[in-house]
Amino acid sequence: MTNILLLEDLPEIRAWLSSLVMQVFPDAQIAEAARVHDALGLVSAIKFDLALVDLGLPDGSGVDVVAALREHQPETQSVVVTIHDDDEHLFPALQAGAFGYILKEQARELIIEQLQRISQGEPPLSPSIARRVMAYFAAKSKPQPASPSAMPHVSLTERETEVLLRVAKGYTLPEIGQQLSLSRHTIADYVKQIYRKLNVSSRAEAALEAQRMGLFGR
Amino acid sequence: MPCPCPLSAARRHGRLPGLARPGLGWLLALALWLCAGLAQANGLGGPTVRIHAAQAVVSDSASFPTDKPAPLSDLPDDWSVSRPGSAGPVWYRISFTAPGLRESGELLGVYIEHVCTNLEVYLNGQLLQRGGRMEEPITQNCNHPQLVSLPAALVAPGLNALDIKVVGHPLDSVSSRHRAGGLSALEIGPISVLEPLHAQQTALNVAVPQAVSATLLLMGSFMFVLGWMNRRESHLAYFGALSVGWAIVESRLWLRNLPFDNAVAEFLLCAMLPMLTLACVQFLLRYAQHRSRMLDIALPLQCVVMPATLVLAGPERLYPVASFWYALLALQTLAAAVYYLRTQYRGRTRSFWPMALLLCIATVALFIEYASQKLGVRTLWTHMAQIATPVMMVLVGLRLLQQHGKALQVAEESNAQLEQRIREATAEIERNFTQLAELRVEKVTERERKRIAADLHDDLGAKLLTIVHTSESERISTLAREALEEMRLSVRGLTGKPVQLLDALGDWRAEVVSRLGQAGIEADWSAPADELPQTLSARAFVQTTRILREAVSNVIKHSGATHCSLSCELADGDLQIIVRDNGNGIPMELDGRLDRGHGMASMKHRAKQLQGQCLVESGPGYGTVIRLTLPLTRATEAA
Repeated sequence: MTNILLLEDLPEIRAWLSSLVMQVFPDAQIAEAARVHDALGLVSAIKFDLALVDLGLPDGSGVDVVAALREHQPETQSVVVTIHDDDEHLFPALQAGAFGYILKEQARELIIEQLQRISQGEPPLSPSIARRVMAYFAAKSKPQPASPSAMPHVSLTERETEVLLRVAKGYTLPEIGQQLSLSRHTIADYVKQIYRKLNVSSRAEAALEAQRMGLFGR
Repeated sequence: MPCPCPLSAARRHGRLPGLARPGLGWLLALALWLCAGLAQANGLGGPTVRIHAAQAVVSDSASFPTDKPAPLSDLPDDWSVSRPGSAGPVWYRISFTAPGLRESGELLGVYIEHVCTNLEVYLNGQLLQRGGRMEEPITQNCNHPQLVSLPAALVAPGLNALDIKVVGHPLDSVSSRHRAGGLSALEIGPISVLEPLHAQQTALNVAVPQAVSATLLLMGSFMFVLGWMNRRESHLAYFGALSVGWAIVESRLWLRNLPFDNAVAEFLLCAMLPMLTLACVQFLLRYAQHRSRMLDIALPLQCVVMPATLVLAGPERLYPVASFWYALLALQTLAAAVYYLRTQYRGRTRSFWPMALLLCIATVALFIEYASQKLGVRTLWTHMAQIATPVMMVLVGLRLLQQHGKALQVAEESNAQLEQRIREATAEIERNFTQLAELRVEKVTERERKRIAADLHDDLGAKLLTIVHTSESERISTLAREALEEMRLSVRGLTGKPVQLLDALGDWRAEVVSRLGQAGIEADWSAPADELPQTLSARAFVQTTRILREAVSNVIKHSGATHCSLSCELADGDLQIIVRDNGNGIPMELDGRLDRGHGMASMKHRAKQLQGQCLVESGPGYGTVIRLTLPLTRATEAA
């Protein structure tokens, strides 16, 4: 890990986060930004390996930065760092391409642990987010009359669903790995895959929506 | 027979035309012999003598003119036949003897079935009866049978002279043959025998038409008002007009004294008839749902034209002109009736047969009336026909009323249905409106909540967060974190959605197990994994999460345990969570209470807020057991 984007508007919190990141990634290059506009400028200039993005910013939402990263630097792992713990704020960010989220209010040790996990390729996935993802794909699997051919069909595999189900029940990823006789790494890959599918499906949906709006707008 | 009966001889004489030959100067003497024995033998109260001939002379003198030749005239004497164009007055004289009358004590009378227009009766020069005014306007007695008693005191033992002075009108100046001048045959006999005859005839001629007139007048006015109020049922108004008109025409049969001369009365009566025809024709057409613009003009026009022709013809030629119009009007009515019946037949309505029957009877009655006019005959059939027409009208009226009533009923029913539907629709609208309003309130509330939440997060949240992460003191940091949580709960908790118990268990498990795992403590979690229908309110969920967090923090920080087991159970509607560790236990304070520094007080306080309790058992050496019991229903309801 070398290049890390840190988008946070409050200077104290930004400094605090910065020190945390330095603790986890001692040799990292941290590019700090306080506004969406600045962050987007950095995204177009520097290639990042990890991005910690706050959502509520003075000039917009961090979701835009997540989407921009997803668009231009698909390899970058975007993680939402926020004060909002509700699905309403988090889910759009996950759909835009974020791999998990970290709550700012959590204890320092907990955040450090989560960052370490992320660096090992294990994105965080809470039970409530797992439930939300399941509900999202369950709604999608229902037959939809609106031009299904134009939309790439994205659905979860049985294994992915199984993992989600267990996460929702409160099992940790290592526990699920044990239960399914899979390595911790494989489980992490499933979780990443789930995040990716959520993003792809959402983008297809957004594209279709845009197309529909265009048709009607004419 | 104890004595020769001159009665039979008189009858025979009356019928012999030879006897009535003028110039003979033969005075018909009627010997009336009345004896009680004969009356008893007959069982009728005595015989009567029917007079078929009388001396007749045209004169306006005060008494029977003896100076003029008085030829014998047949009775009934129809002036239009015997003396055409004559307006009278005509004096009639019947001579008779009534021996033994005084002794018998029987009251004698003369019954005159029909006299037109009015009469005076004298016995031996003494006025017995006058029917009313003898000058214009003459009292109309054409339809009133007369019964005159002959006082025994005035009956001479010898020959008696019964004089009758009749005033009337020539046929041409009346519109009906029934009102042309004339005198019917007379009947002389005991009053007791004649009285029933007179009563019967009066009933037929006067009482029945009166009753019919009254009925038609009442029903007609009623239906006229009904039809007038409800223009869609205009046929009712026309029928009402017809009934009322008929009642007025009918009144001529029994109304004796009119304030106008005969000419005026007859003219007015005739002028009524085209109006009646108008009402009748329009009634039939409207009843058949037909409306003719041409007839709407032609029929009223006829009401003007007909009187005009009568005026032009003059009162002395009233009868022929009126007869012509009668025929024309009857034909119009008949045509309308046929048209009506045809549409009813084609429409296959249920009222065809009854209406056809009623109209047929009315037509036949009109025909009989017309024929009797032409032939100048008055029989029982004529009377029946005269009554039949109004009776049919009454029946038709009843039928119309029935239909009207039925239509009214149907209308009321559909009205009630409509009202019911409107009520339902109104209720539906109100319901929808309420729902809409509620939805709107919810939406507004939701938006407002979000706005407040965003504001609080951005400002207060950020500041608290800064305190959490920059404070040197662990205690202030914890307080700030709790304040942050409290703020979030305040914003979301009140309106936040309830949390499924199963989801809550999942969240708790994830946090507890991963935290204990990180701390290197072996965790053992047991909870029901089945579908749980229970929910927790947002606040209960957050409070319970805090209690658990605190308990786990205690285990990690203070217990020095290597194993921690958590079990969640549902028992008697309570949620029971037991946290058990194998650590050092909590040291006692000096006052024997457990250490406050371990957050026990706040855990207990929170449990209390949820109407539950938090029990802590601890002792050196055997670890700590925390028993948290929350009443699920109340925890669910607690906001």
